[in-house]
Amino acid sequence: MIVCNKLSLSFDRIPVFRDLSFEIYKGEFVTVNAASGKGKTSLLKILQGYVLPASGTVLINGVELGEHTINKIREQIIWIPQNVNLPVDCGMELIEMLNLKSNINSIKQVLDKLGLDSDFLSKSFKKISGGQKQRVVVAICLGINRPLVLMDEPTSSLDEESIKMLLDVVKSTGDKTFFTASHNKTWMEHSDRIIELG
Amino acid sequence: MKQITDIDLIDLILGFSIMIIPVLLLLYYKIKLVKSILLAIVRMSLQLSLVAVYLEWIFEQNNAWINSLWVFVMIVVGASASIKRIGLNWRFFILPMFLSSFISVLIIDTFFLGFVIRLDYVFDARYFIPITGMIIGNSLNHNIVGLTAYFKGLSEKSDLYFFLLTNASDSKMALRPYISESVKRGLNPMIAMMTVMGLISLPGMMTGQILGGSSPTVAIKYQIMIMLAIFTGCTINLFLGILLSNRFVFDGYGRLKEGIFKGGNSQ
Repeated sequence: MIVCNKLSLSFDRIPVFRDLSFEIYKGEFVTVNAASGKGKTSLLKILQGYVLPASGTVLINGVELGEHTINKIREQIIWIPQNVNLPVDCGMELIEMLNLKSNINSIKQVLDKLGLDSDFLSKSFKKISGGQKQRVVVAICLGINRPLVLMDEPTSSLDEESIKMLLDVVKSTGDKTFFTASHNKTWMEHSDRIIELG
Repeated sequence: MKQITDIDLIDLILGFSIMIIPVLLLLYYKIKLVKSILLAIVRMSLQLSLVAVYLEWIFEQNNAWINSLWVFVMIVVGASASIKRIGLNWRFFILPMFLSSFISVLIIDTFFLGFVIRLDYVFDARYFIPITGMIIGNSLNHNIVGLTAYFKGLSEKSDLYFFLLTNASDSKMALRPYISESVKRGLNPMIAMMTVMGLISLPGMMTGQILGGSSPTVAIKYQIMIMLAIFTGCTINLFLGILLSNRFVFDGYGRLKEGIFKGGNSQ
């Protein structure tokens, strides 16, 4: 699914990582772990073409990432960032924005597995907690029908119980490949593999 | 209608003496604005005096080519001023800013001068130059507010843009919140101004026409028309400014290019 070959990244000539190579296979759940500032988020952004490595290549589903292939590659990716100020008041608006109305039932199912009822899709983001908002956003994003899920610090606003519920969702979504960045112990313990950076 | 009372040179100089009040206030509170205010007043006076000389000559000639050249110069100066005030890089923006102003002026002037006022001579300097000037002048202010919001938003809130670009896989969808915010910020002051026009503000054009000897009814009809022209012109100019700039400011990966701001991007 993902092949990274000798990736090197530096910011302002300070190396972040060098000659990083790894493969992630279809259906795997892999977590990249590193201390803060060691390039976890940047690595996830490299896979989407938002950060360009100093050297090395990335292949996603056999397609090499480049200017001419980037749209095709992004069409295979779901991106769940750690924190984003969404320009919407509630989950339903986000569903409309991402054109996911036809997937509403699968979104509700995921939301249920994450311990929230479907009413949360209509509740204002201003009136629910950070953890509830994160679960609503995750459920909606997982409703996008794509094979590769990139998640940055998915546990950052979640309590231990919610983390376990999210892990159950990840584990039960066998047809998707999950590549996540986290240093949460429970999350790493349940990952198929850990890639250490730095 | 009574003839307008001219202001002679001595009275004009007397008019400048009122500036003593703001200058003294600024000096008393040690607010460092005196130098820039005096410079602005000197520039304004010199520029307007020169414009008076040009316009006297241009109005006398009333030639389509000369009038169009004058409008062309106004468009170039307006586009350059927008770029400079927002702090954008000329390399990326001069063409889109020029084209957006040019197209909005072309549409508005053709519609209002050709179809609404129905002038026999569309390039008549008395109409063509002041109306175009008002459209460009107002667009300048609203473009600066709108485009600043757009590019600062894209640069400083790139996480949202990347989220939408990947998950919607559609750059138009990803840019929509930024365009929406930019247009709101750019046009809101004008909407607010139109709402109270005539109640707490008497517009300059109408006042000028009345002072120039027109009847208040004629002046108000022109004021309504010019507000519609300005609002539509600003909207077209701002939308085109954004949409045409988009063709120059993103790289092959859909990222905002380095160096679109003069001092460097903050992305």
